[in-house]
Amino acid sequence: MSGTIHDLGYQRYTGARRPTSARWRVIVRHQLTTAWRTWWRFKSAFGLAVIISFIAGGLLYLASDKLIRSLGSGSIAVTFADGVIPMAMTWYHRAAFLATLTITASVVAGDLQSGAFTLYFARSVRPRDYVLGKLGGLAILTAILTFAGPLLLAGLRLGLCESTEELVATLPVLGKVAILGAIATIVYTVVPLGFSALVTDRRYALAVWAAYYLVLGSMALLAGLVANHGLAALDLPSALERITLALFDVQFVRGKHADIPLATAIASLSIHVVVALGILGWRVRSVRTGGVGGSG
Amino acid sequence: MIVLSGLAKRYGEVIALAGIDATIEGQIIGLLGPNGAGKSTLLKCLLGLISFEGSATVNGLPAGTHGAAIRDRVGYMPEHESFLPGMSAVELCAYAAELSGLPRVEAMQRAHAALYYAGVEDKRYQPVDSYSTGLRQRVKLAQALVHDPELLFLDEPTNGLEPRARDEMLELIRELPARRGCAIVLSTHLLPDVERVCDHAVIMDRGRVRFAGTLDELRARETGAVELAIEVRAEAATLAAALVAAGASCEVVSPVALHVASLPDSPKIDAHLVFATAKACGVQVRGIASRRETVEAAFLRVLAEPTA
Repeated sequence: MSGTIHDLGYQRYTGARRPTSARWRVIVRHQLTTAWRTWWRFKSAFGLAVIISFIAGGLLYLASDKLIRSLGSGSIAVTFADGVIPMAMTWYHRAAFLATLTITASVVAGDLQSGAFTLYFARSVRPRDYVLGKLGGLAILTAILTFAGPLLLAGLRLGLCESTEELVATLPVLGKVAILGAIATIVYTVVPLGFSALVTDRRYALAVWAAYYLVLGSMALLAGLVANHGLAALDLPSALERITLALFDVQFVRGKHADIPLATAIASLSIHVVVALGILGWRVRSVRTGGVGGSG
Repeated sequence: MIVLSGLAKRYGEVIALAGIDATIEGQIIGLLGPNGAGKSTLLKCLLGLISFEGSATVNGLPAGTHGAAIRDRVGYMPEHESFLPGMSAVELCAYAAELSGLPRVEAMQRAHAALYYAGVEDKRYQPVDSYSTGLRQRVKLAQALVHDPELLFLDEPTNGLEPRARDEMLELIRELPARRGCAIVLSTHLLPDVERVCDHAVIMDRGRVRFAGTLDELRARETGAVELAIEVRAEAATLAAALVAAGASCEVVSPVALHVASLPDSPKIDAHLVFATAKACGVQVRGIASRRETVEAAFLRVLAEPTA
């Protein structure tokens, strides 16, 4: 490194600047770029989602005409194909959880730890731009796992229909998958991001989120099984599974299953999302000016 | 450049800024003050990050209502680390430029140019995490420069640097106004740095601006005169007596050295008068130099002065 000063024919920038309201898109793009950079961040979860899609797609193709059960008086037949998609969704949610461990659950804490907030807020980035940018970028990543994958399967399911009547009858699966995908995307984006804003060390943020999701979730599920079914709604996968069951009207086999009321499941997910957004907003607002003027 | 009028900020019962009225101009301005003086709060107000009473304008833009516009035109080099893990210097600077509104291609070009200016050209593709303290300081300077600001706030830019790196950083700072056309506000506790690169100083204490002006004005504030350090062959006391008779204040340091300063309401003592007086009393002058108060001494003096 020399002490020489270089200029490279410097000229003052006189061109137009992007409006402040568009800065969140820069953060979205940055989030996507950094997530894709290393194999362990997003590619691992993406790889898992691809494997799930291949297995589920293969099952759909090979066993679409197999009956798994009849409903009611026997007027509605549920084929294996009808069960594959909701079953696969629980696996997509596992892939999304993997992505939260490698990316989402440490985003805000990581920015706090590295002093990145100064980089953002000493510029014309507003707190809402930061929150919107992070939410947008992470939602796109999560949606690739929880929305695009299931939608692909739903498309395959429609493609395997043997008649127009069957196609028309099966068409609602697209809407159901889209609704579930959207809910799962919101849950697996906002909640871990809220946890990442809880503490100022990324490792602790990760640990708190993992403990909440795995340990507290399992305890809630257990409590739901032995005491109050509603308690199991605190377990995010169980709450999502309850909505899946309600939408697809399919009972698929699971070792432990609490009969969570649908309203409780929806309320639990909504409260999780609202609280997480609150924590996120509070943290970003409170640290906005923290890095400026550190010398006292 | 920066105009403050009745600028006040309170945090509960604590008065951070006590109604400041000041006009801050200059190319490189040292922002000085002890801890808790209000420097950080002033910077936050000027960047439009916090609400305040009174008014503050930066390059004609009111900080109270146009914070975002100001931050697009101002660069800030923080004291503490502000990097994104895993990013190279060029990625970081390009991202910083885009966050300041520059288009993507322009941001990348300016990132290379800013890093080149800061002397990080050969390591700009390596992750910033792996840099030495000196290189990190340079990257912080580059990210503050990358969006082509009209005004730069540098917060302790030489903190933690070894002497050579510190010299190089101060050289970069000194060259900036001429090469980049930007003014600089340098917030630091290292008064020799201010002495070396600044032309103006603002001294703050307990939420008030105690001094704002050029360094020469700061040094000459007490007596309004420049002191001279005189070396003679012998008989310094004789020359001192003659100069006192001419209306100067003299301090004999040794038989061959004395310090001279003008007294208020007395004729100005300059080299011509010293030579003439020495010739008249038969003392041989061997050296004469302007003896200026250091910024550190002036800073301490200003802080010791009673508040108006």
